[in-house]
Amino acid sequence: MERFELLRKLEGMHTAETAAEALSLGRQSALNLLSKLKKEGYVKTKGGGKQKRLYRVSAKKQRTRNRGMFDVINKYSPMKLAPWYDHQVHGNYGPEEALIDALETQSFRVILASMKLFNHITDWPKLYRLSREKGCWQKVGALYDVARLYFKVRKMPARYRQHKFLREKFLIKKYPTEEPVFYAIEKMWNVSIPFKEGDIRKAAS
Amino acid sequence: MILYEEQMELFALIGKNISRDIECYAFGGTAMMFYGYKDETKDIDLVFDEEAAKREFIKALERLGYEKTSALNIYAPEKLKDKHAPAMYRREDSRFDIFSRKIFKTILSPKMKEDVYAVHDFKHKHNLRLKVLRKEHIVMLKAVTERKNDFDDIRTIAEKEKSFDWQYLTDEAIWHYRHGDKWVLLDVEKMMRELKQHIFIEKKYLKQLYDAHG
Repeated sequence: MERFELLRKLEGMHTAETAAEALSLGRQSALNLLSKLKKEGYVKTKGGGKQKRLYRVSAKKQRTRNRGMFDVINKYSPMKLAPWYDHQVHGNYGPEEALIDALETQSFRVILASMKLFNHITDWPKLYRLSREKGCWQKVGALYDVARLYFKVRKMPARYRQHKFLREKFLIKKYPTEEPVFYAIEKMWNVSIPFKEGDIRKAAS
Repeated sequence: MILYEEQMELFALIGKNISRDIECYAFGGTAMMFYGYKDETKDIDLVFDEEAAKREFIKALERLGYEKTSALNIYAPEKLKDKHAPAMYRREDSRFDIFSRKIFKTILSPKMKEDVYAVHDFKHKHNLRLKVLRKEHIVMLKAVTERKNDFDDIRTIAEKEKSFDWQYLTDEAIWHYRHGDKWVLLDVEKMMRELKQHIFIEKKYLKQLYDAHG
């Protein structure tokens, strides 16, 4: 059977038994074939040991991934995101970089979920440098102060607070602050906070 | 031929050789490798939205020993007369086809820019951001570029991809036609007709193309 036809028949999730049945082969022959396809990159496995081993077969090669913004946020935030594109970073990538990328998306859910990253910021100078490069330190500071009201976060060194921001910015374009509880933060950083308290509670649970 | 792993190493190396952040869009065989449709490609097709980013990328290529080469025998002669034909750089058996804003007559549409399949960041001192176009855009651009093997690549995508969105492709082709690319409908229609001999494509998509052409 041609490789492509074979993959077409097998595409989807299988156990050794269902793969054998689909191809009208014996169990051991099916396992040998799955192992060969795995080496070629068409099969990813799950389970094994006490659990039943599952084989995910695809007609396309399943490349190994590097982690990206969605992976970092989903690792640390209880509010999970469904990525609408595959973001991968080849190089150093941690919560500091993910936070900056999250702010750049201008997406309500992504920014909301990224607030949990403040508890995992270990390198404040790096976060400061990166955000100054992208011109978004003002937004990072405002988001930090919002996060601090609701979650446990790591402390931001006081020296990063000593700025005056003349230009008004929005976390999300044209969404003004509506919650009175955020007025003080808006005033301090000159950044509008689009969230409602209920949104943030949702992100926390 | 460039293998997937070699391509990733090459991008990482270019990322180390740039002196500012760069963003570009990958299509053609490069994009197909990111999807996992194939393992090797003859050339790396990139389109830049910003001229300065393109210049910086070319500088990095030249630093790595790539030299400008002719597009003769690769693209059809009438395509090469187009002012948006690619700049081509070669080193041994790897080649970059670099476009600026337009792939011949086809512009980078808002949907191409927003609705990408993947974003790969090659971070070093500066960031090389590679946005991989959606499969429907890859097919449309392959229909437009009409090089050797382009039809085989289109067939591979259409056959391997269960969720290929023909309506999306049709809408995009019509959008490009209405924004000045007078050839795109003919190219896509020709490609669909040929493809119909191998896979099932609903008639309504061809009808939409004919209606748009008037």
